[in-house]
Amino acid sequence: MSTRIITPVAEFADLLPQDYRELVANGPFFARRGLKDLGTFKEIIEEHPHCAGCGVALGVRLVAASLPAPADTIIIGTPGCSFFGLAQTAVNYSNTAFGNQNAVASGLKRMLSLRYPDRHKDVVVLVGDGGIADIGLDMTLHSWFRREKIVTIMVDNEVYGNTGGQESGMTKEGQVLNMAPGGKKFPKIPVFEIAKVSGCAYAAKVTVASPRMIEKAVNRAVLVARQVGPTYLQIYTPCPTNLKFSPDQTVRVAAEAEKGYYAVEEFITDEAARCLQQLTTES
Amino acid sequence: MYVSVRLAEEKCNGCRMCVFTCPDPNVFNFYKDKKKISVNASRCKGCGLCVVACPKEALSVSAG
Repeated sequence: MSTRIITPVAEFADLLPQDYRELVANGPFFARRGLKDLGTFKEIIEEHPHCAGCGVALGVRLVAASLPAPADTIIIGTPGCSFFGLAQTAVNYSNTAFGNQNAVASGLKRMLSLRYPDRHKDVVVLVGDGGIADIGLDMTLHSWFRREKIVTIMVDNEVYGNTGGQESGMTKEGQVLNMAPGGKKFPKIPVFEIAKVSGCAYAAKVTVASPRMIEKAVNRAVLVARQVGPTYLQIYTPCPTNLKFSPDQTVRVAAEAEKGYYAVEEFITDEAARCLQQLTTES
Repeated sequence: MYVSVRLAEEKCNGCRMCVFTCPDPNVFNFYKDKKKISVNASRCKGCGLCVVACPKEALSVSAG
């Protein structure tokens, strides 16, 4: 997206909604604004219908604020809770049939590389655990095997949240849910470990309790994907509605998980580390 | 009755913990010069995440 496209002509500026004018005047498109500036600029994500205290919404918001170049980013979504928030973002967004997100992203990345050979266009897949670990696992894995230069971000709420609480592949073993009354019978799918051996140049596992880690990981994932290869980021975004805790405890639940089974982990190949080192030196 | 977050401005020290824990966008504005936040109550869903995160107990969730 060129910033010229979003700038309204003076004659029509008054007709546009207040939120749009604020986005143009005080959004992150013209001046670089990152997570550390949150609260001082108009965010690219707008009001959404997520439940109160939603971890996914917090994850989506933190990722959106961390994007290094929102004007040159396209986000690919798929049905699920993540989609509700993303449909309201002021960045290019493409929804896909359930599970097809990495295949669609691969095509878009190739097309954008041809159309804009001199410019980085970031293709970011931002979907839930159902889209990546269950229904879209084949597309996701094959995009990594093909070394597509796309960023894949999973907002992992460990449940199919918007359809009433069915277990997903990422649900913890033994977890009882509305539609899994007997508890889940097998462990979480180790997507992070699979990413490491499937061609990802960079992979990270974080939670919404560590916003600065999310910013660091999103930045690294996008920069590595521009030059080296596929990257993967997994964010734990607990769901108060289906995991049955009070909505004001989302961050505490995430922080506790971070001390236990969802410890922060980072994986980086030598090539990706050299690329980041070079970028740091240049800047 | 609309439940939303209320701010006791005199208690706020501008640490911005609330800004980083709110799942909804543009609820909090931060003023660098004053080192204070302000609340846009019409965007708040009243989850209380900011209330738990605030170290100064400057925020509360209530109706009216």
